[in-house]
Amino acid sequence: MQPDILKSSAAYHESLHESLENTFLRKTLDKFAVDYRANRTNIFLDVPERELIAQIAEDRDRSCKRLDELYQQFKKEAEKRGAKVHFAETADDANEIIAQIAQDNKVKSIIKSKSMTAEETLLNQRLEKDGLEVTETDLGEWIIQLRGEPPSHMVMPAIHLSRDEVAEDFSRATQERLSNDIGKLVKVSRRELRPKFIQADMGISGANFAIAENGSIALVTNEGNDRLVTTLPRVHVALIGIEKLTPTLEEALTALQMLPRNATSQRLTSYVSWIGGGGAACKNAYGQRQVHFVFLDNGRVKIAKDPLFSQVLRCVRCGACANVCPVYRLVGGHKMGNIYIGAIGIILSYFFFDKDKARILAQNCVGCEACSDVCAGGIELPRLIREIRACANDEEGSPRVESLISSVMKNRSLFHTLLKFAKFGQRPVTGGTPFMRHLPHIFAPKHGFIALPALARHSFRERWGKICPSVPDPQKHVAIFAGCAQDFIYPEQLEAAVKLLAAHNIAVDFPDAQTCCGLPLEALGQRALKVEVARQNAKAFDSLYYDAIITLCASCASHIKHAYPKLIESGEDAFRTQAFSQKITDFASYVHDELKLGAESFIASGEKVCYHASCHLCRALGVRTAPRALIQSCAEYVPAAEEELCCGCGGSYMLKFPEVSSQLLDKKLEMSAATGASRLVVDCPGCIMQLRGGAEQKGMKLKVSHLAELLAENMKP
Amino acid sequence: MAESTPALVDVFKEKAALVAAKVTEVADLSQAMRYVVQISEEKPPCELLAPEPGTQLGPLSENNLPTRIQPIIAAPDLDDEGFFALEKTCKAKGIRCIRNGLHRYLAGFDVGLVWAQFAIADSGTCVVSTTDEEVRLATMICESSVLLLRKSAIKANLASIAPQLRILQGTGNPESTTFITGPSRTADIERVLTIGVHGPLELHIILLEE
Ligand code: SF4
Ligand code: SF4
Repeated sequence: MQPDILKSSAAYHESLHESLENTFLRKTLDKFAVDYRANRTNIFLDVPERELIAQIAEDRDRSCKRLDELYQQFKKEAEKRGAKVHFAETADDANEIIAQIAQDNKVKSIIKSKSMTAEETLLNQRLEKDGLEVTETDLGEWIIQLRGEPPSHMVMPAIHLSRDEVAEDFSRATQERLSNDIGKLVKVSRRELRPKFIQADMGISGANFAIAENGSIALVTNEGNDRLVTTLPRVHVALIGIEKLTPTLEEALTALQMLPRNATSQRLTSYVSWIGGGGAACKNAYGQRQVHFVFLDNGRVKIAKDPLFSQVLRCVRCGACANVCPVYRLVGGHKMGNIYIGAIGIILSYFFFDKDKARILAQNCVGCEACSDVCAGGIELPRLIREIRACANDEEGSPRVESLISSVMKNRSLFHTLLKFAKFGQRPVTGGTPFMRHLPHIFAPKHGFIALPALARHSFRERWGKICPSVPDPQKHVAIFAGCAQDFIYPEQLEAAVKLLAAHNIAVDFPDAQTCCGLPLEALGQRALKVEVARQNAKAFDSLYYDAIITLCASCASHIKHAYPKLIESGEDAFRTQAFSQKITDFASYVHDELKLGAESFIASGEKVCYHASCHLCRALGVRTAPRALIQSCAEYVPAAEEELCCGCGGSYMLKFPEVSSQLLDKKLEMSAATGASRLVVDCPGCIMQLRGGAEQKGMKLKVSHLAELLAENMKP
Repeated sequence: MAESTPALVDVFKEKAALVAAKVTEVADLSQAMRYVVQISEEKPPCELLAPEPGTQLGPLSENNLPTRIQPIIAAPDLDDEGFFALEKTCKAKGIRCIRNGLHRYLAGFDVGLVWAQFAIADSGTCVVSTTDEEVRLATMICESSVLLLRKSAIKANLASIAPQLRILQGTGNPESTTFITGPSRTADIERVLTIGVHGPLELHIILLEE
């Protein structure tokens, strides 16, 4: 069941190429990603999405603190209703309990409805070892069972397969020549499986909820197979992750407003079955039915006690985190998880399966936050993925490049000197343009897809003395937090911002002791260092004095806003860090919301300009209106398709997964070009590096600018 | 809980239509029964998905399956009066009416008719008490599922139905409740929506004034 592709990092990269070259998969997942977004937006119009997410998170967190108590209550209620309740500490225990139930009841054939939990425990393999016939009845699960493959999506397990492949599999299974007509193929499963339902001695299901107040489970499905599985055979076994316990119907009904919407853009699935008990009082064709509820721990109780990771137990298995993930979209589920797919798949693989393999998977996250934005339980998925990388580094020591970078960053002046030194080192390779034609040897091959920028001749910190504007009677005082990319590579972007601010009577400072925000360390999993740079930066700014601390880098802004307060929670530095974090404002919001600049402040250039919404701005900071309104105030804003799709930069991601990163970039550039715009505006230097480099490499006539540059160019005299 | 308003009925009708349920309004139960018989008459013959020894078979269906010659309507939870009225109309048309022993027809039957206890307007969902196994079978083995629903039993949304659900699913005895929202469906092959997988191929909801 464990895909071999995860044996080593090299094998994993090899397999990514396979996926990237699978045109059917690429086309399917592309279309899915676009459709899913649109359908999801529509289906949430009639419910308060954010409130539901917050409520689910709160409910789940509360339940997970009292799993034992809820289990006892569930057991009592379920037994009252004639069901038997079992507790399995490990996956093997669960499998043994179920194998024993089968043996006690002289079971020969088993039908199953979809259960991720049973896949987690590899239940089928165990039962087949006893000579039992196990048939999956969910259409997608049946297809992959016939093929002997693991699922590639949590809700649509066979999404990676074409109708032709399914027709072939079904033809083989039925010994008939079948057409690839989807309607007919579905009818084949109806026809082939009904006799199995009728003959089966035992039905195995999962459960979406286990309600303590009435000892009932709820199953959320569309095909109706779960109803047959839980009704026709004389024994019904439900295998349930213990975190599915919830105190009352109310919590389940709340989550039920979210789950189908997030999973399949439905208000409700065709069926929700609430099953409470069985036993003699429940008649069926055989006189009575036994009902067994088997609760699985398999590490969940321990996870529930972890202050950070306990949130993974909020997962309702809706699959949304895969649906919006730009990496999933490119490489598919087999390369983005193991049984559990997508962001949550990476994390759960770490706990349930193999830590080494999970670590390889964890590297393949670009950190775009698209997943946490839609997660039904509001789980901080990218943060947890970064934590897993960090654990891996702590456990095994950092890989070579990463530890080199981190030891350099520890020392601010060494870091800055090294960057200066690199600047001289690179001269011969840039060919006189602002792009590096060849990369320093420290980087692995395969990075030819973008022209990497050269370091600026003079960094912003070196230029500051000369350009520092004098504002005699300022209306406000702000400071610039530069961030490495703009300080050393794109100082002209900061200068454009300074020019604009000064023109509107804002006094601007640049405290010299500031350093890297520390986000690159987070991506590398270097915990201790992150704390150190946060402390340095908070000290560098007199946060109480400034009206705002402005950064032109969306990534720095979101990192300082979200991560800093959690990095330093106590001691005398805590207050300083909080104040610093609070004052940090992204450039677009400051100019639009605080200065309230609009069309009257700019010349209408008439230029057609499209926009790329950086992950760290639109999702992490929720800034969506300001940049677009500002573009519109000085140019003709032409919206591009999928503006919020990640460009594939992701800091060091483009160095680690160039094959994935370059595909994302291509997509982004295509969609920008399709608008007919002559300029693409972005608010994050990382994205600019990626997009400008890509446009240069392809020889495109698309100018890539920071928003500040566009605005400064079109200022009224 | 407040009586449902005409506005709720409209929302229910709209949302049920969105999930491919066919909603019809009738004046009384006898009109409802006539409608049920009509559904049975208008549908293609029921396909037999498994062997059913002793049953008279018709020509093969388009899916190459044997079909039932005499249609069956299962109506396990009608009261005597309703059932006998239905049975009488059916007899004249050569349709068989049954109210128990549904497990003898697991290969499939034509129409399953049961009461919905209440409904949820916002999602077009009917809530059926399925503790009686005959009722469960009637709603899952049939090709056309027909639900009877009183307009006054339509509630606003999922968030507000916990008390009603608790009445059905909080008795302390074995119990089962099913939310039904449209016919069975799948999108597991190339994400193409296909109606009618393991459950009913179509869903009718008959709205009764009282
Ligand atoms: S952060 Fe982005 S790349 Fe990473 S798992 Fe989430 S959606 Fe995928
Ligand atoms: S982690 Fe969140 S988005 Fe992903 S499957 Fe779980 S609930 Fe859904």
